[in-house]
Amino acid sequence: MAGFEPKLVCFSCKFGWGYLGDEAKIDSQVKNRVPIICSGKVDATHILDAFKAGADGVLILGCSEDNCHYQDGNLEAQKRVYLLQKVLAAYGIEPERVKVELSTDPEGKKIAEAVKRFSEAIKKLGPLGKAEVEVSRVA
Amino acid sequence: MTAKPKIAIAWLGSCGGCDEAVVDINKDILKVAEATDIIFWPVALDFKYHHLEALGKGEIALSIINGNVRNSEHEEVAKLIRAKTRVVLAFGACACFGGTPGMANFRSKEDIFNWVYRDAPTVVNPKGNYPQPRSQPNGKELTLPEFYEQVFALNQIIDVDYYLPGCPPPPDLILNAIDAFLEDKLPPKGSTLAPQKALCDSCKRNTTKPRNVEIHDIKRIHEVEASPDICFLAQDIICMGIATRGGCGESCININLPCRGCFGPVEGVKDAGAKYVSALASMLEAEDDKDLKKLVDKIDDLPGYLYRFSLPSSILVKKRK
Repeated sequence: MAGFEPKLVCFSCKFGWGYLGDEAKIDSQVKNRVPIICSGKVDATHILDAFKAGADGVLILGCSEDNCHYQDGNLEAQKRVYLLQKVLAAYGIEPERVKVELSTDPEGKKIAEAVKRFSEAIKKLGPLGKAEVEVSRVA
Repeated sequence: MTAKPKIAIAWLGSCGGCDEAVVDINKDILKVAEATDIIFWPVALDFKYHHLEALGKGEIALSIINGNVRNSEHEEVAKLIRAKTRVVLAFGACACFGGTPGMANFRSKEDIFNWVYRDAPTVVNPKGNYPQPRSQPNGKELTLPEFYEQVFALNQIIDVDYYLPGCPPPPDLILNAIDAFLEDKLPPKGSTLAPQKALCDSCKRNTTKPRNVEIHDIKRIHEVEASPDICFLAQDIICMGIATRGGCGESCININLPCRGCFGPVEGVKDAGAKYVSALASMLEAEDDKDLKKLVDKIDDLPGYLYRFSLPSSILVKKRK
């Protein structure tokens, strides 16, 4: 879709991604980045809230396998997202709009690249359809 | 002698079970009838909408409204009652969260009409007639309520003062609510007149719930002979009790059925389905991706499990186009 720039939210684990890098520089390259302590902390509610707020996609950057500071938070995030994808499909939201990427990047040099790759994938899907919820009718 | 407070009991998009639940308070209904003046209850007594219209603003002390808002008639009646009422109680899962009919929000109006009036195997409709809000058979104009694009919970249409969930609400909580109203002991506006904790807190099987629940397989209640004493989750059966407000009296658990979630989210939670996703994910025991997919794919209609009673009031409300 020409001219479509996806609105993305990126949760990135502080233990694996960018903890040695310049945060201000990373944030200048990546909009809507939410540094978190463990990808396993991302609740399904946070992801749904992001879509409700108008996100076209949600990317979660977790630590590589066997490298979670809390043992298996990264794998928990993967399980959670796989379940949530089933729910999103029922809402008419393509499961590919949520992605978990596991890797380690202390300098945070790969964050912008990961978001760009994700952005390209979301561009192919186009903007998230509107729910066309009639605004609250409360008088 | 002061006049008795006027009470209205109304049904919108509902099955009638909530009205039945009011009758189920048994002989205490006589106490209610004695202490109040029931001025509107279409299911039980012969009142018409014009009786409501004739009332003054705020003349009804308490309106107990069950059912969701699915069409223009429901909206009109809800707004009319609100204008005439001082305290509105959303009664039952449909009024509180949209209820089971709210699962229609996973479909568009078009999908629903096509199935109900065209594609269902029992339908014969060669002319392709669909209900219209206005039609002119034989030169006369007939009107029908307009079927909306989605189901609404009551508080998405009118201001609601109190909530009493359940499908239907149990007699003890109904009586508590009415007593609190009559004795002027209602909690702050916006409160849910039920316990705040999850069902597990009062479930008698709680003592058999393992510290860390590990689900190795997904079993449905009709596929196994479930133990009547052991936590359903420990038996690999999905039970919504961990993410559902208690207070129902465990009527399902007591007949060996897992909780389905009719009391809605626990206090402070907006979307019980999302919370359940997070909890369920941590309970699923899978060695690898393949294992996980096998396990999850065995859950028949996960969204239906999660939002059986609460889709219209969930974070995402309805299907995207």
